[in-house]
Amino acid sequence: MPGFAFWGLFVVFGLIVVLYALWMWWAERRDEE
Amino acid sequence: MRGQVVVFLLYFGVVFGIGWLSLKRTKSEEDYWIAGGNLGWLLGGTTIAATHTSAGSFMGTIGVMYSAGWSFGWLILSIPLAYWFMAAVLAPRFIRVKELTLPGFVESRYYSKRTRALAAAIILLATVVYIQAQIVAGGLIASTVFGIPTTIGMVGFTLILLVYTAIGGMLAVVYTDFLQIVIMVIGVLFALPLAVRHVGGWGDLFQYVQAVNPATFTFEAFPPVLLFTMGLAFLLGSVSSPAQLIRLYAMKDMRAVRRGILLAILLITGVNLMIFLLSLVSVVLFPALPTGDLAMPMIARTVLPAFLGGIMLAAITSAMMSTVDSLLIVAGSALSQDIYQTLIDPEMSEGKRVVVDRIGVMLVGTVPVLLILSGVGEGELIQFIVLLFTALMASSFFVPVVAGVYWKRATREGAAAAMIGGVGAALLWELFGSETVDPVLPGLVASAVLMLVVSLASPPPPPEAVEPYFPDR
Repeated sequence: MPGFAFWGLFVVFGLIVVLYALWMWWAERRDEE
Repeated sequence: MRGQVVVFLLYFGVVFGIGWLSLKRTKSEEDYWIAGGNLGWLLGGTTIAATHTSAGSFMGTIGVMYSAGWSFGWLILSIPLAYWFMAAVLAPRFIRVKELTLPGFVESRYYSKRTRALAAAIILLATVVYIQAQIVAGGLIASTVFGIPTTIGMVGFTLILLVYTAIGGMLAVVYTDFLQIVIMVIGVLFALPLAVRHVGGWGDLFQYVQAVNPATFTFEAFPPVLLFTMGLAFLLGSVSSPAQLIRLYAMKDMRAVRRGILLAILLITGVNLMIFLLSLVSVVLFPALPTGDLAMPMIARTVLPAFLGGIMLAAITSAMMSTVDSLLIVAGSALSQDIYQTLIDPEMSEGKRVVVDRIGVMLVGTVPVLLILSGVGEGELIQFIVLLFTALMASSFFVPVVAGVYWKRATREGAAAAMIGGVGAALLWELFGSETVDPVLPGLVASAVLMLVVSLASPPPPPEAVEPYFPDR
């Protein structure tokens, strides 16, 4: 079974997407204020 | 075979229909070049994703995966970072003044028609080479699907592209991009499980791949330094791509930009991850292909049932067409808007402009085909040209665009020097420099240094050029 070099890519991508979504939520709230 | 032909005929029929409808809806130059500047997040996001995903992703990746191993795939993480930078750092200032083209931004911020024409000339030259690479891929697909000579395939694809792009403009490009990214997603979503089952499931797949190349799933196969500089090249190239920057003008507001870019990140990275997995399957199934570029068409023909194989080939075609149609718009606008109408005939009527715009698009599509037919630029690897194109765009436009919206003191002289010096340094590095450093790095350093030094040495920009981009200070 492949190690972190394989599945780590999927995990890190997932984390980046979550961070982007959080930033977007913050930016939209800032625009409303 | 018949199933595949049916899928393709259907696909081309819909694409022509979209071209025709877009012609009816195109009333102004703003409609023709930036789809009216009123796109929401769905069409905005899908057009960014489809434009980004080229034949290089579907056909070039496999060869690299085969020799470099899985760690090459980590490069894809530069995509979400690049587009976040675009949405968060660049877009809020860049779209304060809506232009129709990237050289249009250069003129508005750098108060010079000549600097605009310089930007347009760089775009024109680099884009024609890139379009050429993509058309070669189109010819390969056509010869695989229909069994016709590659040359006829290339000419046929270009004709189809030119018809809907020239008549329908950016509206046609945006609507076809939506269709094309949907086909790409369907293609890889269905192909992956079937292909994996063909080699006996995930466990067997990993075992086979590791047997072929034990270093595949380690970071050893690909030096981290090279991975980092290539990632940086991808990042800067995506941010500086004229085709993507004008999509910021095409979207209606910042909310659409942020949401659209999230959608684009999910689509681009998702499709690429699935292509990476498909690459592993093809390493097992076709270990001795003459060129890696043929792996994906081979999967479509031998692993998938006829109808799905047709969809997969349509997906590869879509990747190619959705990138080239956007480049035709970028290069066509550089020729007709930024060079002809700015320098040669600025007093043209609106009616005549729309005709000249279409002639520009026709010209930039025809020239690459003529170049290929006359034997110029054959035999180069698709991914190589894609990489060099990215480096050239990043070296010429990253600094002028970022400095333009973040540094009030940036001048037209600085911008011109940054563009020329950036392109020159990147090209020289590509020809004579070390292979372990991507040409984007020397290009970018030269561009930044020249922007700084030449701007400070030239008279400050007039306030009326700078103020629209810095309203709150």
